[in-house]
Amino acid sequence: MPEDMKFESLVERYYAPLYQFAFSLTRVEADACDLTQQTFTIWAMKGHQLRDDSKVKTWLFTTLHREFLNSRRRQTRFPHLDLDAAAAELPVVSPAAINRLDTTRVLEMLGQVDEIFQAPVALFYLQDYSYNEMAEILGVPLGTVKSRLARGIGQLQQMLARDITAGQPPTNL
Amino acid sequence: MNITEAKRILLLYRPGTADAEDPQIAEALALAKMEPELARWLEVHCARQYVIGDKFRQITVPAGLKEQIISEQAAADKTRFWRPKYALAMMAALVLLLGLLALFWLPKPVQDDTLVIYQKQMVDVALRGYGMDLTTTDPEKIRSHLAQNSAPANYALTAALQQTAVAGCAIEGWQNAKVSMICFRTGKPLPPGTQSDLWLFVVDRANLAVSTISETPQFSKVNRLTTAMWAKGDKIYLLGSEGDEQTIRQYL
Repeated sequence: MPEDMKFESLVERYYAPLYQFAFSLTRVEADACDLTQQTFTIWAMKGHQLRDDSKVKTWLFTTLHREFLNSRRRQTRFPHLDLDAAAAELPVVSPAAINRLDTTRVLEMLGQVDEIFQAPVALFYLQDYSYNEMAEILGVPLGTVKSRLARGIGQLQQMLARDITAGQPPTNL
Repeated sequence: MNITEAKRILLLYRPGTADAEDPQIAEALALAKMEPELARWLEVHCARQYVIGDKFRQITVPAGLKEQIISEQAAADKTRFWRPKYALAMMAALVLLLGLLALFWLPKPVQDDTLVIYQKQMVDVALRGYGMDLTTTDPEKIRSHLAQNSAPANYALTAALQQTAVAGCAIEGWQNAKVSMICFRTGKPLPPGTQSDLWLFVVDRANLAVSTISETPQFSKVNRLTTAMWAKGDKIYLLGSEGDEQTIRQYL
């Protein structure tokens, strides 16, 4: 087995991005840790079946996402707001206003986006993944990824806009 | 492509990534260079995307997670041997090992060397010199003499032996049983002091306690003689002569 394919080397390389992805999905540190750990446990058991070393990254993220979906089926769905399915016109919200939000709040907003859009949006903003990699990780065609991304990003930005607007002091007293 | 379409496409654009290589995004970016309104929208959009992305990248990994993953996996590796499938494999290996040890340590079946001793003893008789009880060239006299002395006499000669000249016979002993020794002459010049150069020993099967003996002649070299041994009916035959296997075969 090549040095970079050894268990410790893979953990070193991927545990952080995997955790970030897991936390984006769960928004709970313990759950994200469990998902990351579980992903590597599955790798230890089944990773040897992977013939193409270049697919390791995708394999790990796919496994994590699958485990997340499996765990969600056993849990109560997070409450989420009903939003317009298609965000044809994005709300005008300034980058500075978004920047004042902390990560936790942004992830809470992501948690209120339709569940099917959450994983692609997280991968999109983590920026390490091309559209093709996202399609492979999520197990859907490229077109579906783009469609889900467009709707997920739209929903997230609407959520952020509402949250920021709600937090501003009234202008007409 | 109009500005609305370009905005829809550029919604998925992340500056600094390979997204710009996507043909549609590339076309939309080209349009943004020509359309000030789209360019302004894109600038704000990119800033917004960057800020949101930054929030994701700020997710801090708990300290010790890496070490926890590695150590728990190491512990799992250690306990794996006690999981059912590994335990089963270990038990199978243990059974195999015990089997091999048993093969090594258990008393091996005693090799039946009765035939070998019989062969050697009869060959010694032929080579050391013997006194023929009856010297004759008449096969029937030999058979009669043997019968009269309670030695095996109803033996079956091969067609080749029936055509070979006899020189006489003797009665030898094997563990209190009688062995008929029929002496032949092949026609080759005999060494000085010898009267025959081909010998057939016949013993009753009941007197040679061996577990199995083939009806097909088995060849072996005993001392200077090449021998063929086979069973037929209630008799066991041993034919010996100097020479190679081919020499013996011509009398079978």
